[in-house]
Amino acid sequence: MSAEPGGARLFDLGYRGYDGGRERPARAIATLAAFSARRVLGLGRGGRHKVLPAITLVIAFLPALVSVAFSVIVEDLPIDDLISYGEYTFIIGSALAVFTSLIAPEALCPDRRSGMLGLYLAGPLDRNRYLVSKGIAVFAVMLLITAGPLLFMLTAFVLAGHGPAAGDAPVLLLRIVASGIVTALLYASLSMAVSSFTTRRAAAAVATILLLFVPVSVVRSAIESTGAPNALDLLSFPFVVAELSYRIFGETPDDGAPVEALSTAIVAGGVAAAIAAGFLVCWLRYRRLEAFR
Amino acid sequence: MKRYGRTVALAGLDADIGPGITGLLGSNGAGKTTFISLALGLRSRESGTLSVLGHDPAVAGIQMRARIGYSPEHHDLPSELAATDLVRHLAEMHLLPRRAAVQRANDALWLVGLGEERFRPVGTMSTGQRQRVKLASAIAHDPELVLLDEPTDGLDPVQRTEMLDLIRRIGTEFGMHIVVSSHHLEEVERVCDAVVIVEGGEVVHAGTLADVRRGPEGLVVEVDDRAEELAALLTGSGFEVTVDGAVLLLSAGDGVHDAVRDAVADLGIGLRRLGPRGRTLEDVYLGVDR
Repeated sequence: MSAEPGGARLFDLGYRGYDGGRERPARAIATLAAFSARRVLGLGRGGRHKVLPAITLVIAFLPALVSVAFSVIVEDLPIDDLISYGEYTFIIGSALAVFTSLIAPEALCPDRRSGMLGLYLAGPLDRNRYLVSKGIAVFAVMLLITAGPLLFMLTAFVLAGHGPAAGDAPVLLLRIVASGIVTALLYASLSMAVSSFTTRRAAAAVATILLLFVPVSVVRSAIESTGAPNALDLLSFPFVVAELSYRIFGETPDDGAPVEALSTAIVAGGVAAAIAAGFLVCWLRYRRLEAFR
Repeated sequence: MKRYGRTVALAGLDADIGPGITGLLGSNGAGKTTFISLALGLRSRESGTLSVLGHDPAVAGIQMRARIGYSPEHHDLPSELAATDLVRHLAEMHLLPRRAAVQRANDALWLVGLGEERFRPVGTMSTGQRQRVKLASAIAHDPELVLLDEPTDGLDPVQRTEMLDLIRRIGTEFGMHIVVSSHHLEEVERVCDAVVIVEGGEVVHAGTLADVRRGPEGLVVEVDDRAEELAALLTGSGFEVTVDGAVLLLSAGDGVHDAVRDAVADLGIGLRRLGPRGRTLEDVYLGVDR
């Protein structure tokens, strides 16, 4: 295309083929995991999609912020009077429940409803890699809630001079990471299991809330009224993982819950079984799911 | 072969799809989408062999699908995602580096005529615009093969013409091989180099459109009366004749034109049409050999 001398020119370059480098197939897993995590958190989406994740994060971090603020403002406050690391998982149980039921289903449900699942599987992903991507996304966002506040608390206490002795800090850090990973894995697996049954987030939310809280009341009344074994309390998922968190930090709650009577091996085994069952249910559902339409 | 329960979706589908633009033609439920899903390795087949870009999709699915672009039949896409974000994301999913994916997503959207609309959420777009977004998603990563499932579905005549022109341009200028499924004969005749006609899960016809149009050699003759008597005369002269109402189909042979002229003159009937035998895609689709 021509123009006056010295004037602007437009060039129609037309379509150009791509002969640059391409990523390895494993990159598709990371791409989808990052994309899904951003969508779950509402990043890059409208304001209404950010409200619930933001509220949940505030609920999760608030106890840590209050503890740190008290430790800084109130002089000579015994650190033991503040929230302990072990009880944190129990305290933020409501945030975890909200996140698992209302926010995490965003990772799986819309893909089946909008047909994106078929588009993903028509690319360099298979069903297993797709689920690994989604699992990483949900787990990573859960970890932000389960380990983030504790890491913030540890860092702030250390900086404020209220932290553990120098030799104890690495051990405490490992306990925070271990507790955060276990809790995040349990809630991620439950969310993915429920989400694999429905394309509607609202249905997934209701089902997840029922899964988290109905067994608690049913099982505990059965134990109290009929003398059923305490091991049944392993179905009280929020309380079992909170109990395991206590034990990871070497703390002993005294709430009289049936799960407290179980050995650490049984509690850990129960949590591991629940995690495995959740992911297995999701995998079995997706193995034969009609993704193409 | 592919079954769904007791229903046989595809059986006896024996065809080679070559380079260029190939139409996968068939009525709704003929097995077109099932064929595409098998070609992508998204469904397993019970028997038979299938090779796409030199690979068996059931074995080399991931590597093979990275070289394929696909546009589904449905229009459901993430509604609040901007068109450019969707196309860029799918380009990244097809292993383009992020910077290249951003560039090529914009290029592809400009190419399909959505350059000015690329930041609009997909949910606010019309069916025609969504079809273009799907096409842009299918070509942004510069695939070797593009599979388009009913790309004109839901489009008005103007949009359909524009979409067909785009497909033709992509197939002829950009070095991509295209398989486009459709149940519209005229669309396939307009943009495709070859056709595979599928009906009831079986291939009715496969070949280039030139082959389709060529048809068997010989003459087609249409007269205004006494077609049976004319056929008898020509058969007596040594030609194979098929009568269909007032139309006669003659086999090729030396002196066939002279024989028709003489027979028509002897009977004193009017000659309405005399020409070489040929077929349209519609003839083949409807099973008529003319």
